[in-house]
Amino acid sequence: MTTAALDIPLSDQKSSSAAGIALTLLLPIALVNAIGFILPVLNLARMSFNEALPGGGIAEAFTAANWTGLLEDGFYIELITNSIVVSLGITLATLLVSYPIALYLHRASGAWRTFLTVLVISPLLTSAVVRTYGWIALLAEQGPVANVIASMGFEPPRMMFNTTGVVIGLTEILMPYMILSLMAGFGRLDPKVEEAARTLGAPPFRTFWRVILPLTLPGIALGCLLCFVLAISSFITPKLMGGGRVFLLATEIYDQAIVTLNWPLAATLSMLVLVIFGAALAVYSRILHVIEG
Amino acid sequence: MMFARLSIAVSALTIAAVTSASAETVTLTAYSGIFQEHYTKAVIEPFMKKYPDITVQFYGMPNSAQMLGTLRAQKSSPQIDVAILDVSVAKAGTDEGLFDKVDESVSANVKDLYPNAHAEGVAGVGVTFDNLVIIYNTDQVKTAPTSWNSLWDKQYEGKVIIQAAPDIQGTTFTIISNKLAGGGDYKTDVSAGIAKIGELAPGVQTWDPKPDVYAPIANGQAALGIGWNARAQIYSGTSGGKLGVALPQEGSGFQINTINLVKNAPESDAAKKFIDYALSPEAQAAFTGEMFYAPTNSKTVIARDALKRTAADDMDKMIDIDWLAVAKVRDGITEQWRRRIIPLSR
Repeated sequence: MTTAALDIPLSDQKSSSAAGIALTLLLPIALVNAIGFILPVLNLARMSFNEALPGGGIAEAFTAANWTGLLEDGFYIELITNSIVVSLGITLATLLVSYPIALYLHRASGAWRTFLTVLVISPLLTSAVVRTYGWIALLAEQGPVANVIASMGFEPPRMMFNTTGVVIGLTEILMPYMILSLMAGFGRLDPKVEEAARTLGAPPFRTFWRVILPLTLPGIALGCLLCFVLAISSFITPKLMGGGRVFLLATEIYDQAIVTLNWPLAATLSMLVLVIFGAALAVYSRILHVIEG
Repeated sequence: MMFARLSIAVSALTIAAVTSASAETVTLTAYSGIFQEHYTKAVIEPFMKKYPDITVQFYGMPNSAQMLGTLRAQKSSPQIDVAILDVSVAKAGTDEGLFDKVDESVSANVKDLYPNAHAEGVAGVGVTFDNLVIIYNTDQVKTAPTSWNSLWDKQYEGKVIIQAAPDIQGTTFTIISNKLAGGGDYKTDVSAGIAKIGELAPGVQTWDPKPDVYAPIANGQAALGIGWNARAQIYSGTSGGKLGVALPQEGSGFQINTINLVKNAPESDAAKKFIDYALSPEAQAAFTGEMFYAPTNSKTVIARDALKRTAADDMDKMIDIDWLAVAKVRDGITEQWRRRIIPLSR
């Protein structure tokens, strides 16, 4: 949105006054952002260069020890790659289960479509904490899911207090975001194009692969970006369902800030998450460029 | 982090709004939940009856670290007068100059405190002692465990819950396990304890029980675990006996909560009166009777049945944990948990 405002050609008298108005209108939110976001982030960046004393103390300093320590420590390298891999896995799983639903919703019409859309959005009305506890009840050792698997004659795997639990829980929690993003990006998908493909003799799978999928790529890219960012920053579900076995960036930041009291390290990890966000955004705009190129 | 900062700011505003209501209002920060409930009943209400012109406002927070964070944020303009928090966190706060010394000029009761209520380099003094115990579900564990080794019993595999380090439950458990395994001085080497917990690891259901360790055991999701005596005693009552508490024969380790006077606090004189009262035999006895924390004042006289539910009778079996020394090696202990214990349970 900001780029759109800056792209206004200033040579034109009329649009330069429009740019003036646009800047004036942007000023309040820019101020709120500066005070509520940029300043704290700068504070955080400064904190990441302080020195942590044993026992939770902080010494004012200017040392890169937190950063270098992070990149030299096998545990943290594993934690960072684990966070990225798990978040990518969750994003992929969310995409696979959401895509058919979004496609069906896109084609539905009238009251039926409204009803289904409300149904898709309704989980967002319940807090993620409540939904996570729901999953804990469902996936517990003697829970309904384990019983169904056992009744089919299989040994139920451990689905709780490990990565499996976190992936299942987060996939469901992120589905509404993915479905809404997909639907928003389905604008170019015109039923007439599909009909044309079919009349020209393309079988259904070929129509999907050569026509539908390419036309829905912008929606896929948007949904994946959103879900990846939400997954890697999610805290409640991994904390509740990870059983202390799943080490991810967000839970580690909590532990360092609240339990170990190592604020400098927590700040360093937080800045690292921001860097990953930036990288994800860069990849997204690159993909978008290629798609629409 | 952003959220934490925001909530600190919001809580600071709330406190400011509350304290301006009355001239002599002492704001105390300590643990929220059942600690708040019972401390209010046993100590704060009698204090306010004794000093009608002082109001004590209890500002509860879930853990010591959050209290320290709030005190840090308010350093230039404190809104809190008194803080009750864990001794190792109190040390960090003292090092950062957040507290004034609590000595005999603040309270004559200080001279009557047990020696381990004083920690070198901590401005405050011990106000409660608590100790680690085994907690168990009485439906699943028919006879009360008598030894820590019950946790390693194969029949409870997958039914054991432990709050892992860096939480101090995990840290205390490491020191106890180190002693069980015949390891040496915990201040230099806990590898024997780490190896012993490693044997337990595959059978552990969760290393991070939620909302705490007591609820999953009371409702039968898990059979056995470790917890703090005082809270376990309370939940044992409220769960209708589903939660059992056992102090193993090998003894245990203490956790110490200290009471601290905040530097430049708005109501310092009233705050000193409150600290004096909190350390008095009268208040100590009342809180032990209410919530089964062992008293820190040696002059405290406690009813026999309440005393039996604390570790007071087993003082000789207690491992004397030097929490300030532990603070220095805690990062190393946490690291070993993450590299040598938790991976064994995946």
